[in-house]
Amino acid sequence: MNKRILATLLALPLATAYAQDSSPTVKVSGFGTGALTVSDNDDAEFGRANQARGVRKDVRTGVDSNLGLQADMTINNWLSVTGQGLVRKDNQDDFGAEASLAFAKAKVTDELSIRVGRMGVPVFMISEYRNVGYLNTFVRPPQEMYSQVPFNGIDGIDATWQRGFGDTSVTAQVSYGRSKSKLAGGLDLDMKKLLVLNLMAEYGPFTARVGRADGKLTVSGAASLNGLLTSLRAAGTGYRLPELNTLADRLVSDEKDASFTSAGLGMDWNNIIGQAEYAKRKTHSYINDTTSWYVMGGYRIGKFLPYYTHGKVAIDNAPAYSGASACPAGYPAACTPTLRALTAGVGTLRSAGVGQGEQSTDSIGLRWDLYNSIALKFQVDRIKPKNGKGLFLNAAPGFNQAVTVGTVAVDFVF
Amino acid sequence: MKKLASAVVAAMALASFPALAEVVVVVNPAHGEAVSKDQVANVYLGKSTAFTPVDQADGSAIRGEFYKKVADKDASQAKALWSKLVFTGKATPPKEVGSSADVKKAIAANPKAIGYIEKSAVDATVKVVLTP
Repeated sequence: MNKRILATLLALPLATAYAQDSSPTVKVSGFGTGALTVSDNDDAEFGRANQARGVRKDVRTGVDSNLGLQADMTINNWLSVTGQGLVRKDNQDDFGAEASLAFAKAKVTDELSIRVGRMGVPVFMISEYRNVGYLNTFVRPPQEMYSQVPFNGIDGIDATWQRGFGDTSVTAQVSYGRSKSKLAGGLDLDMKKLLVLNLMAEYGPFTARVGRADGKLTVSGAASLNGLLTSLRAAGTGYRLPELNTLADRLVSDEKDASFTSAGLGMDWNNIIGQAEYAKRKTHSYINDTTSWYVMGGYRIGKFLPYYTHGKVAIDNAPAYSGASACPAGYPAACTPTLRALTAGVGTLRSAGVGQGEQSTDSIGLRWDLYNSIALKFQVDRIKPKNGKGLFLNAAPGFNQAVTVGTVAVDFVF
Repeated sequence: MKKLASAVVAAMALASFPALAEVVVVVNPAHGEAVSKDQVANVYLGKSTAFTPVDQADGSAIRGEFYKKVADKDASQAKALWSKLVFTGKATPPKEVGSSADVKKAIAANPKAIGYIEKSAVDATVKVVLTP
């Protein structure tokens, strides 16, 4: 039965296409950024969320450069197919290609459309065009917030409903599916039963959105975490300290509840540009519960747009050992040193892995719309890690210094 | 001095030229209802799919005039808006054709199509719904 419906669905567009004598049209478009990024510090690397390597005092192209190509095939009035490929440096220190979009879209009514395939995860204000530099004021999305959900795509189905109420246009989007991705450091992320709600209202130059994502999160492949969990359980069982077993169960990220709640505001009014977002992340695992936010403001003077951004991420809660710091009297001599080593290990998880850490960034920049579809940007970031290395990569032990990063970027679309 | 004056006159003539070609919004004659300027703007800015829009060539004077009059955007602002919709997979940009004659052909072939042409190009194959 299902097969028959599917066959009919597949045949329908062909039939209507012939009936209307409008053969499918294909449109190819693309976007890209060529950028040079440099830092003033050699003790840690600055990179984007989920990059394996970042930049030190030597200038690198890999942090902010990318290239995307997209093909849109309109089959008929109600059916279209879209594919987008993206080349960038992500979880490995090489430029790699990924299928960032691959879906079929059916327009059910003038107000409702359904997509099936791989879509963007709409958890941020700019989540679906965060890699298109030309469409953004800043060189890169504020890392404090955009590192908190380190995956871009969802494989599944989504429905978008759009309607105008007078001068206000309202969009409601519901996505359901699964997101699997490779994280830096050889980790595998698997978000099952991912349900995302995204509500957006546009009134002239003002935009507001709220969103909520829920799923079952598994992060696997972390050898040091697995070792720590095994040791915690062995010590808990061996020394009869059941709180260690409980702690291991709380830390493990194996189909654990995870959520991301976010809100954003944007405006482009009388040459005043503003954008702000606020988000809360919660997981029942070693991955920190966080609050992240940023505010960006700019003023357009002809083709020039100077801007300022402040972003911050703070840890609200992270699982920690809360029991006694020493083993009870009469326990084997090795018990207390083992306990202390293990709890110290648990303490390091706050800053272990992608998007784990606390920091704030102040950025000033200038966007210059050089030519139709080409923008040149200059940006200087001052990043201050807190309680450790912040979001810096490959940091020297004990690293905790403010770092200045400079970037020159050319963004284009075609 | 004379040369300069004629250059200025020529430049003024060029500058005002696009305003001379009066643009009208047209649909398939089968479409019965009235269409407002906001509705047209929403269709061409990707906020409504009530019609299937047909665009004129990128950089053409009539396209610039249409977007300015209907949506109060210049063509590059409209292009940036569309880039956002395209790269987020939300919408595909309007089909682009080379002339008003091709716009009329596209409208004749599709009862849901909407387009804009010079007023002088209007004939029985299309119905004018708006003179912005």
